[in-house]
Amino acid sequence: MSDRKVIEVGDDSAAAGRPVEVRLGAWAWAKKNLFSTWYDALLTLTLGSLFVAFGWTLIRFLFTSDFEILRVNLALLMLGEFPRDQLWRPAVALILIAVLLGLMAGMGSASARDTAEQTGLPYQRSRPLAVLRRFWPVLVFVLVVLILTETVAPWLVAVSVFVAGVGSFPLGRALPGGVRKRGWLILIVIIAAIFLVLVGGGVGWDGWGGLHLNLFLTVAGLLLAFPLGLMLALGRRSTLPALRAMSVTYIEFIRGVPLITLLLLGQFVIGFFLPAGFRPGNVTRILIAITLFEAAYIAEVVRGGLQSVPSGQVEASQALGLAPWKTMRRIVLPQALRNTIPAMVGQFISLFKDTTLVIVVNMIDILGASQAANAQGSFLAQGLHRVTLPFVALAFWVGSYVMSREARRLEHKLGVGVR
Amino acid sequence: MTDQRSVFADATQAKGEAIIECVGVDKFFGDFQALYDINITVGLQEVVVVIGPSGSGKSTLIRCINRLEKHDRGSIRVDGIELTDDVRNVQEIRRETGMVFQSFNLFPHLTVLDNITLAPRQVRHIGKDAAEEDAMSLLDRVGIPEQARKYPGQLSGGQQQRVAIARSLAMKPKVMLFDEPTSALDPEMIKEVLDVMVELAKGGMTMIVVTHEMGFARAVADRVVFMSDGRIVEVGTPEHFFTNPEEDRTKLFLSQIL
Repeated sequence: MSDRKVIEVGDDSAAAGRPVEVRLGAWAWAKKNLFSTWYDALLTLTLGSLFVAFGWTLIRFLFTSDFEILRVNLALLMLGEFPRDQLWRPAVALILIAVLLGLMAGMGSASARDTAEQTGLPYQRSRPLAVLRRFWPVLVFVLVVLILTETVAPWLVAVSVFVAGVGSFPLGRALPGGVRKRGWLILIVIIAAIFLVLVGGGVGWDGWGGLHLNLFLTVAGLLLAFPLGLMLALGRRSTLPALRAMSVTYIEFIRGVPLITLLLLGQFVIGFFLPAGFRPGNVTRILIAITLFEAAYIAEVVRGGLQSVPSGQVEASQALGLAPWKTMRRIVLPQALRNTIPAMVGQFISLFKDTTLVIVVNMIDILGASQAANAQGSFLAQGLHRVTLPFVALAFWVGSYVMSREARRLEHKLGVGVR
Repeated sequence: MTDQRSVFADATQAKGEAIIECVGVDKFFGDFQALYDINITVGLQEVVVVIGPSGSGKSTLIRCINRLEKHDRGSIRVDGIELTDDVRNVQEIRRETGMVFQSFNLFPHLTVLDNITLAPRQVRHIGKDAAEEDAMSLLDRVGIPEQARKYPGQLSGGQQQRVAIARSLAMKPKVMLFDEPTSALDPEMIKEVLDVMVELAKGGMTMIVVTHEMGFARAVADRVVFMSDGRIVEVGTPEHFFTNPEEDRTKLFLSQIL
């Protein structure tokens, strides 16, 4: 694009044979693209009026609906029945996590810079505006939430989170390379620890709910299911018949059962397999069910990735004398996992949305909270689902959209498909 | 053993001390027999070039030598170690045997330097600094030290193949196997790879080279092996082989390619 020349029609540099981008006037553009034939015109008018009608309805909805139900129940939607005198816990955790995520982003940025320096690959530090373009849905959602709040505390938290994240970014960028290499894992562990101690400590995770529960189940489910799924995928490709049979049986069994069934089984059956007296809470049982379920799907995704690595890679590694497990760890897995990013993200997104199923085992996630709000005396039977459900949908869309966008970015960065 | 082999022309036997010995090797892919009764030895510091039409079993033969394929009958010994199902034997032989592939098979997720240092560090447990120093001097030898920090995808085919050679050499192998190393290259890149191989041969490396580069065979080979339909048809010195072949099959092949 950059070496093209934008010219007005009539400019004679077109004759010079350079690629030319012709910029039409608005009217000419519309005529060319929207009204070139009678059926084009008809289509344009039909779709246009539908679009206008929809836009008008949306505006009417935004300005005439009473958002009181969201305002009153905002904490319920976000955090479920988390004790209201303990709200400082998630707030502090959020700020600390922002610090760590800022550090991580800084470390990532510095690593990209170093790699670019060494390899001569192009590198451009992302500008604030580009970051905004990546995460604008999150910003929109946060703003919606902040507008709906009735106290000043959420504003303070949001500002602190922003300052913490942005402030720690240059710190992460300044860390020496050696620290950066191992820092990732340490930071993830610290985040998990902060989360469990600070947020879980006061309440215990059976008291969690709202969007917080959806996010927690997604992240924890993935972190737990991934290693299990990896082992299952390797087991399925193993040369040991018993191991292979076990993996295949497990994967095919779990994939043949709906998640909702597993969640219910978790309620009534998991206790049966555990020693007497050890009775895990509701969220623990949900987490077990989700982990077992996701692992089977992740296993299949990883298997696809393993098959995508050309056999020449294994042969080259073997010819160099690398033992089979080192070939797997150093050569096959890094390439296989990179190739699974698109499918893996699809899996993550569907898990994020599937976490709403916990409603069947009496957990109040964000969808459950929306249902519960509509059952409250002052909001009962007023058709206010039309206010709460779009809010819930917005929350899920933001999460899913950002995830898939980031995945595409990561894919591009790692050069999947362009190699 | 010696009397058994004496049935075959003397040319299949190395003059000096043998480092690779194949005796009566058969190889099947399902019902298809890819190798028939292969008997050949390769001496220390010898360069053996294997030629023949495609599908004649050349690649299969050298892939059997480092166990990328498993032979079904006969015996293969490398540096005195018999290739058996024992994983330790196989690992030991692979450590002493470098291999260069037609399609390079560099590891695309690692930099050139990491490609080269991976095996020395993981298999020979050499420290990072020493391994990188080694790798840099190897890159010097193949003429591309400035590419060390790049990824294979950033290099030309000829450069990639030279990295692949350096990667094999980093394990300090006693034998190098080349499986059509220039067949996937553009004509102008073939020379840069062949030059490296010639240097290697001059330096006394034991090499088995499957190739269609007759010029290379003529200039560098100590012996040329001609294979057809899974059998060794004729073995001889380049002069003998190219000027005065004995077998009709060899003459036919040479008349087609020269």
